[in-house]
Amino acid sequence: MLLPRLGTPSRALVSAFQRPSISAECCHESFRHLYPATKSPLISFVRHATHKAQGSVNGGKDGAGKRLGAKKSGEQYVIPGNIIFRQRGSLWFPGENCGMGRDHTIYATQAGYVKYYLDPERHPKRKYIGVVFERDQKLPLPRNSARRRRLGLATATMLEETQVEAENDMAVGGGGVSKGREKQESLQMRPGYMYRESNWRIGRTAEKMGVKVKVFKPGDRWAAWRKATARRAKNAERRGMRRGGKR
Amino acid sequence: MALDPAIVSTPKEEKILMRMGVKPIGSRRRRAALQTAANIPFEQLPYQCFQEARKILLADREEKLEEIEVERSRIARLKEQDAAVSGGEQQKQTRLRSMMNYLEELKILADINDPVIKKRYEDGEGDMNKPIYRYLADKEWRRYRRPLLMQRITQMAVVPDILPHLDPVVDIRLAFGRHNVQPGNFIDSRVSEMLPKLRVQVFDKGERLVSLVVVDPDVPDVESDSFKYRCHFLAANIRLSPAEPSLAFSKLSGDTQVLLPWLPPFAQKGSPYHRNSIFLLQQPDGKEIDIASLREKVKRDGFNLRSFSDKHSLRPVGVHMFRSTWDDGTASVMKRAGIEGADVEFKRKRVEPLKKPVLPLPRKKAEPLWKFR
Repeated sequence: MLLPRLGTPSRALVSAFQRPSISAECCHESFRHLYPATKSPLISFVRHATHKAQGSVNGGKDGAGKRLGAKKSGEQYVIPGNIIFRQRGSLWFPGENCGMGRDHTIYATQAGYVKYYLDPERHPKRKYIGVVFERDQKLPLPRNSARRRRLGLATATMLEETQVEAENDMAVGGGGVSKGREKQESLQMRPGYMYRESNWRIGRTAEKMGVKVKVFKPGDRWAAWRKATARRAKNAERRGMRRGGKR
Repeated sequence: MALDPAIVSTPKEEKILMRMGVKPIGSRRRRAALQTAANIPFEQLPYQCFQEARKILLADREEKLEEIEVERSRIARLKEQDAAVSGGEQQKQTRLRSMMNYLEELKILADINDPVIKKRYEDGEGDMNKPIYRYLADKEWRRYRRPLLMQRITQMAVVPDILPHLDPVVDIRLAFGRHNVQPGNFIDSRVSEMLPKLRVQVFDKGERLVSLVVVDPDVPDVESDSFKYRCHFLAANIRLSPAEPSLAFSKLSGDTQVLLPWLPPFAQKGSPYHRNSIFLLQQPDGKEIDIASLREKVKRDGFNLRSFSDKHSLRPVGVHMFRSTWDDGTASVMKRAGIEGADVEFKRKRVEPLKKPVLPLPRKKAEPLWKFR
């Protein structure tokens, strides 16, 4: 291994004496015969190791698999939120009734059957994943046809909650003891280690009591001035008290 | 003190003028500048270079006017010519059409460089019967308002959902009372209860007959677990011309024009937003639609605009849209309009999971260590 390298400086020395010191660029082809050609097989070019062969180069890494790829195949039934395809980058794009997560995962937004398809009118190169409601439906939809949409909602008679609750409160206030007791009994152990009302019920107290807040008007300078003056006066008073206490 | 709409520059004065029904002219900056400027007409301005440039423009205009005369005489000659000489009737009509197009182009080119015309257009004093003002208005519309409209109707899928294809050529502005509506705005149901007012600007000459349709494609249909269409307004045989852009729903005649009167848009609680879309459809060759015969046939629920426009060979020329959701006023609006279903609420239907949930195993009681037993 080492032998050819050891010879290198001496070889250079020999060649310096053998050949006139004229660089290759200035030496015309027609004058080349004037100079003696290098005869020694020893005096040839040297190739240093510029390309690494060991260590982490040349794709030597082999990490753990990331379990990417299709999680649902074509025409498989999915429900909203099901992951259909995991990928690095957007190999596939979300089509009908599908969404794309922040790591480009394709997931279903409706229950139905998965379809893998191309839609050249939408994009000439992209591959799409869609979900259809009927298994035999084709994607992409015919040109300019209305979208197929699902309601996914059921009707319910609206509870007039606020009215009912307001009436209950009235009854409690007017001496309706029984209902008040029921409420007391329904208290539960809640976060904070105490028996108390639920947070949402506390939040609606003002609404139940009929507390009205004045509507904020951004342009009402008169109200703003009054508030600001009151605040300033209060602060000044507080400051005065503090100073007095120190003295 | 009388306020001059050309030079008022404070918001207070502008407001007073607006209340009187006069619109201030141009920008506030320009009006402020005009207060101190000597109002000298263009011809007397003392700038030599400007006057020389005006001379060139005027010469160009003269040239264009001559060309117009020449083209007109050519057209007249071709009209008189026998069809056999000019290569058949079809060939003749094609040539005539292209010559007319060129004539229109020349008319615009004659006036396009005139500063006075530009000023008059920007002051809102342009006469829409003249091609140059129509051209300028069209250009302005296509610069911003039309792309915005196209974006809204494609992103909200009005185009494939209600009509297969749409290439608007008419500028529509929508207002409820004094509320101006941009395409796609959410409108309070109490506001949209009022009859809308349209300002329809067409950019080609002449009168035409149009139909006006308001469709809601998002009516929830529980039986089919899908959505239906509903027509909120339908009128036909409305005359439109470039100089008269105002189209108020309240001004249409109930006997000869309105087929389905205004039904206030509403969205029941829990239903996704409703895209109330307004379409303007041009009737072919000024042909009137027979309203009396249609009165029994046309139904609000399940109204299909595709089939309606196909049947009467209507060409969609303009579109506008606004959205509505359930709000505090919807119940009262529905009550006033005599619509039932204000107490109905839509709730999400549960989708059955694919796997049954795995119940946690019953926890073992912790046994004490052997030495503490």
